[in-house]
Amino acid sequence: MTVYESDLPGVGKKHEIELHGDERLVVVTHNTGKREVYRRADADSDAEKLFELSDGLARTVGTVLEGAYFQPVATENIETVLGGDALIEWYEVPDHSELAGETIEAADVRQRTGVSIIAVEHGDEVTPNPDPGAGVGAGDTVVVIGSREEVDAFHAMFIDVGDGGDDAGGTDAGGDDGDGTVLD
Amino acid sequence: MAAGPTAAGDLHGLLALGILIAAATAVAAVGRRIGIPTVPLYVLGGVFVGPHVAGAVGLPSIAPAEVLTLAEVGVVLLLFFLGLEFSLDRLIAARRKLSAAAAVDLFVNFPVGVAVGLLFGLGPLGAFLVGGIVYISSSAVITKSLVDLGWIADPEAEPVLGTLVAEDLVIAVYLALAVALVAGGSPVDALPRIAVALGFLIALAVAAQVLAPRLAPYLGTSDEDLVVRTLAVALVISGLALSVGASEAVAGFFVGVGIGATPLHDRVADRIAPLRDAFAVVFFAWVGLNTDPVAVAGVAVPVVVAAALSGPAKVLSGGIGGQIYGLSRRRSLRTGLALVPRGEFSLIIAALAATSPNPTIARVIPAFAVGYVLVMAFAGTLAMSEASRIERWAGVADE
Repeated sequence: MTVYESDLPGVGKKHEIELHGDERLVVVTHNTGKREVYRRADADSDAEKLFELSDGLARTVGTVLEGAYFQPVATENIETVLGGDALIEWYEVPDHSELAGETIEAADVRQRTGVSIIAVEHGDEVTPNPDPGAGVGAGDTVVVIGSREEVDAFHAMFIDVGDGGDDAGGTDAGGDDGDGTVLD
Repeated sequence: MAAGPTAAGDLHGLLALGILIAAATAVAAVGRRIGIPTVPLYVLGGVFVGPHVAGAVGLPSIAPAEVLTLAEVGVVLLLFFLGLEFSLDRLIAARRKLSAAAAVDLFVNFPVGVAVGLLFGLGPLGAFLVGGIVYISSSAVITKSLVDLGWIADPEAEPVLGTLVAEDLVIAVYLALAVALVAGGSPVDALPRIAVALGFLIALAVAAQVLAPRLAPYLGTSDEDLVVRTLAVALVISGLALSVGASEAVAGFFVGVGIGATPLHDRVADRIAPLRDAFAVVFFAWVGLNTDPVAVAGVAVPVVVAAALSGPAKVLSGGIGGQIYGLSRRRSLRTGLALVPRGEFSLIIAALAATSPNPTIARVIPAFAVGYVLVMAFAGTLAMSEASRIERWAGVADE
């Protein structure tokens, strides 16, 4: 397979890609970024226009053709998937959370949700692997590990408290706009 | 208080500019439906609102001087863009094929124009100007047609666009000479002027190669800075060129060459294109303002003779060019057909001729150019859209 490149002064660039036999795919890239894709059945036939794509669309289609299309849907949560079902997630503890001002043991986090708190960040101070008696304050960031269901349960019980005091930046999923009016 | 325009008065300022652009685009919109390229139609729009038509029937009209500066900006930007797309490296890379094709193009078509000029008694300078008008194909019309018809993906696109690039270089040198010659006097009197003008342009060409890459970073990082500073550089340099008797258009060309060789090329092309489009319309319509339809009718015979000779001449020279590029006979014929339209550069030569102190040249050449461009832009577009019929007629169609 050979790809021919040539300049089209004032227009852009042209790439001709050999397909089967004499057949060629011709891609004209305009200076504006627009791509026009043509097919030429053989050396002497006229180009037949197949389609036209904008710059952005052309790049997306290109990666799909390349078999490398991968664009994770952006989540608002910072989460790290560990493989299997386990994931690690960061949450800022809102003012009205049951966890605020309690110890991990008293809030009974593990029993009620299944997740384990593997670190607590208080200001600049990070406590890795905190013991059950460690206290958690509002505004602290907790790092939890568990299955997706367990992490979701933790989020629902301690983070998404929906009383207007939820200032946990970026940890709110979807429809909850912070004052408890969830549309359903 | 400024008085409003009286029945037979001149329109001024904003209103003049607005009406000029409105008239030009209105005529172009009508013409587009029947497939005529827009360049000559913008001229026609200007003819209608100019002193020779609107003024002659007692309507308010626009004096050409009213929009002269904006028209000049249009010329500078047209050539600036040619320079931007012009690459010395590309020319050198393709020099063998291209220079042969370009030489055929020049030595077939230029003499046709010169012969027509001499035949109709326009004298040596007149013949030289008609030669240029007849020689130079229209980059704008041809590039648009290539894209519209899908020929851009066919093998003839390369010799066609390559020939246009070569013509741009020739026309830069040509305009530099023509400006000095049109200013008057015998060629011998003009020598010092030619020397100064050429010296300026050569210095500019060297600066474009050497200085532009270093200065480019100062054109700014934001789009706003880029547009405004590029425009400032282009206008200051082309204005200086005018003041030493060199061609402002050619100066604009070299500023474009300089910027085109830097990484700014794509962004500048993208951001300045709308400005060029707007000001180029003012230029084309301004040519119309200067055009007296009666004068165009008066040169109908030379126009028809020039069209009848120069159309086939371009098909022939382009066809030979296609052969030099190793294309089939059918593709070579298409190369020739594509190069037929004439347009914006012929009008730039016309605008230059209009400044001549010789009244015959100042009156006849612009009228000839407008008539010729109208006919050839139409004929050329027709030649391209009817290519398959022409191929069958010429016996080179292979289906």
